[in-house]
Amino acid sequence: MKLLITDIENFDIPQGDDYKLIKANGDIRNCIGCFGCWVKTPGKCVINDGFDRTGIDLGKCTELILVSRCCYGSTSPAVKMIQDRAISYIHPDFVIRNGEMHHKRRYDNVITVSAYFYGDDITEAEKETAGNLIQSIVDNYDGKLGNVAFYKSAEELKAEVTL
Amino acid sequence: MRAVLINGSPKVKDSASAVLLGKVKELFGSRCEIEELHFKKASVSEEDMAKLKEADVMVFAYPLYVDGIPGHLLSCLMHIEKAGLQNRDALIYGVCNCGFYEGIQAEAALGILKNWSIKAGFIWGGGIGVGGGGCIAMLPKIPTGKGPMASIDKELMQMTDNAVNKASQDNRYANVNMPRFVYKQAAQMGWRQAIKSNGLKAKDLDRRPE
Repeated sequence: MKLLITDIENFDIPQGDDYKLIKANGDIRNCIGCFGCWVKTPGKCVINDGFDRTGIDLGKCTELILVSRCCYGSTSPAVKMIQDRAISYIHPDFVIRNGEMHHKRRYDNVITVSAYFYGDDITEAEKETAGNLIQSIVDNYDGKLGNVAFYKSAEELKAEVTL
Repeated sequence: MRAVLINGSPKVKDSASAVLLGKVKELFGSRCEIEELHFKKASVSEEDMAKLKEADVMVFAYPLYVDGIPGHLLSCLMHIEKAGLQNRDALIYGVCNCGFYEGIQAEAALGILKNWSIKAGFIWGGGIGVGGGGCIAMLPKIPTGKGPMASIDKELMQMTDNAVNKASQDNRYANVNMPRFVYKQAAQMGWRQAIKSNGLKAKDLDRRPE
């Protein structure tokens, strides 16, 4: 399965069972740092607002595709809140990989992470930060790096990105 | 001069960010007038915005969330940028703590704050990436500059001195003074205690829900 998280309202994805689309909207509640997804309901967020199962979805996907406004080199607040609410994809325990501390795997799947950013004034520094951010996520998910690309608008992104 | 300290942790209490800002406040001492804000939600109140408007220095302390800035704090930063505050010579400093042992893992999260500070029209003062953040709120109160926080305290001292002098610095990285394997062990014990106190078993940490 390819898991797509986006803040674009009318984003179309290919039909079929191979895709799951999560639309980030204003209704999402932010992570409150309670670690309930690790020690109360392991694997699932404790906030029941419809955005509590992304960690489970991540455990089933082969690709994570983030389609988001670029905010200072990050994904947008709504997309980021979904990411923050899905840390149960990984296990609380630590392991050392390539000399650095990371979280242990909860699942066996290897995710290829891609990010397509849009925004009319994305600076070179923001592009660099975004690239580093996605690489860090790949390192912490023990996954693989896919595409990281930037577009001037959501329309341009939709016209040019082929999933 | 007025320094506004912003806690970017969503935790109401017992956050590492609060401990770190407590030290920042102590280190500024009487050299600054201090305002303390806590951004727990995804928007900034008018009252808080008015305080930010008066800031000569802003110090953000926040946890590393999925290698970046917590989503709610990012939303607050966008509100501040949109508000177009006129204190253009304000310096922005960031202290990002990560659960990992290596403070360098906060590099992207400091980069995001830097990019924001430039876009919002402020001056980037520099940041500190703090490693071993998972134990900071649990450590007993030890005088600043001593004990397991000594290396972090040293960076906070330098940063507050720079802020008072309105000087920028390169990002610095520090971690708690304990061997990495001890920190890793302590964390693993902590998770097992926490899950048991919730009536579950240690092996439930490995659950893969459907």
